[in-house]
Amino acid sequence: MKTTFRSACSTISRSLNPNPPSLSALHGPRSTVVAPLLRSFRSRCTTRAPPFRVLSSVTHCSSAMSGGEAPALPLEKQFEDFRSQLEDSVSLRERIRLVVMEIESTTRLMYSSLLLVYLSRPLPEVLDKAKAHIGTLKDQYSQLAAILRECPDQYYRYHGDWRSETQTAVCHLAFAHYLETGNLLLHNEAGEKLGLNNSQFGLDIEDYLVGVCFMSNELPRYVVNQVTAGDYDCPRKVWKFLTELNAAFRMLNLRNDFLRKKFDGLKYDLRRVEEVYYDVKIRGLASDGDSTGDQDSKKKNDSEVVH
Amino acid sequence: MMCSSAIQKLYVMASKPHRLRQWANFQSSAKKARTMATQSSLKGAFSTYADYLNNLNEKRERVVKASRDITSNSKKVIFQVHRISKNNKEEVLEKAHNDLATVMDQYIARLVKELQGSDFWKLRRAYSPGIQEYVEAATLCRFCKSGTLLNLKEMNASLSSLSDPSHEPLQINILDYILGLADLTGELMRLAIGRISDGELEFAEKICKFVREIHRELTLLVPHMDEPHDMKTKMETMLQSVIKIENACFSIHVRGSEYIPLLGSDVPSYSLIGVAEGIDL
Repeated sequence: MKTTFRSACSTISRSLNPNPPSLSALHGPRSTVVAPLLRSFRSRCTTRAPPFRVLSSVTHCSSAMSGGEAPALPLEKQFEDFRSQLEDSVSLRERIRLVVMEIESTTRLMYSSLLLVYLSRPLPEVLDKAKAHIGTLKDQYSQLAAILRECPDQYYRYHGDWRSETQTAVCHLAFAHYLETGNLLLHNEAGEKLGLNNSQFGLDIEDYLVGVCFMSNELPRYVVNQVTAGDYDCPRKVWKFLTELNAAFRMLNLRNDFLRKKFDGLKYDLRRVEEVYYDVKIRGLASDGDSTGDQDSKKKNDSEVVH
Repeated sequence: MMCSSAIQKLYVMASKPHRLRQWANFQSSAKKARTMATQSSLKGAFSTYADYLNNLNEKRERVVKASRDITSNSKKVIFQVHRISKNNKEEVLEKAHNDLATVMDQYIARLVKELQGSDFWKLRRAYSPGIQEYVEAATLCRFCKSGTLLNLKEMNASLSSLSDPSHEPLQINILDYILGLADLTGELMRLAIGRISDGELEFAEKICKFVREIHRELTLLVPHMDEPHDMKTKMETMLQSVIKIENACFSIHVRGSEYIPLLGSDVPSYSLIGVAEGIDL
């Protein structure tokens, strides 16, 4: 009975009662209608409320919290404080975003330098060009660190804002490092290159690992193009590297998250490289000058058998 | 070399001993890894990554469990508050209050050690639902008791009793507090409808005004939240709740005098008549 009655009235109520306050009213003096009643309750409770202590609060990014001596803040006061704190975090985030955009463009430049490797340019030239950007990156990360120093311990609050850019940066650094040394760029090495080797502003390990997975995505293309350019030994080296990397990744207990997904993709890179290696090997294109002792001795054995 | 100097530097800068220890451990094991031969250095490095990930995942798991316990027990407190009626107010709220204290002492206390330093934000997603529910329960209790809003500062002050001096006190962050408040409206709507059918019209009016004010305050905060989108959807739900309460109050206001016979109660509720006439919407 009540419900029918209610629904019948509801339409009228809306037109009669064009509540919540209109937007323009929101900026004006606060809650004229509501205030008196609430204030009476408030005063009743003020005496009962426990006096609160001012805390070295984790939640407060800036120390903009004004005062804190009053035993119980009125409703509006609290929300005003919230607003100013949240506005601070918004402006902080905007500053972060500006730096991150620069980081993004630097990684892009670095990537385009690395892409020269597919244009059969000499490796030292490619590496020089790519490495030229590392200093810039380091610089930009130090700017980021400076911004984050304003709110210690909130690294992970804003972490998402530079996460993917950092993963890409690690990817390119690791690729360049592999081209140069044939080894994997380790986490602390990557951190050093980016200037992210301190406790307050470090390179997140998961970001690093995702970056490494990204790098592995680049390797099949590298192998294919190297072989086309006549480097027949490349597939074996890359295959060995990726196999080791894959084995290393399997030591990790991953959650069902982004990193896990990226790691699952690594085996397809490995398979593709294996295929190229197989193609090269079966046609006898792989160079005879294998450096590994194992294969050398095996070859000697083979030749002895022939003789 | 670089590592050890870095560690020294870390100790000098030490402000968060707990976290630094983690880092120092990690750095020294990374150093060990580097001194090995190339192939095993890869293995060595990855075993430190594995340790890091295992620790992190276990910690996250513990936090998620604690959060779930906080959620379910806070829900129980909310249900307890809904058992309120005209005659048992004191005793119902007393029990709710005690249960809430238990939630804090038993379950939120488990979070304190886990969320030191940067883990507070890193694991926010793992504990946020529980904390929001707790905010909802605590603010609901306070409102029923005294008709006021429990401030974040007060909540955080009470939480600081949980931790011993060696730990930073756990503090609810603004975002979780605001998200919890947004959920509070739904509960207050249920409460208001319940109170109306119980004849406590004045209380329903009070709820209505309170909820309107919260909605208004939160409207301004939406774009500044860390996840404005989530907040937007919450605000829409919130507005629906506010409108429901307003409509209920409206219908009483318009047909207030006819309401009493409809209630069909055998107790003549004189108070109702007075209240219905006195309401000024």
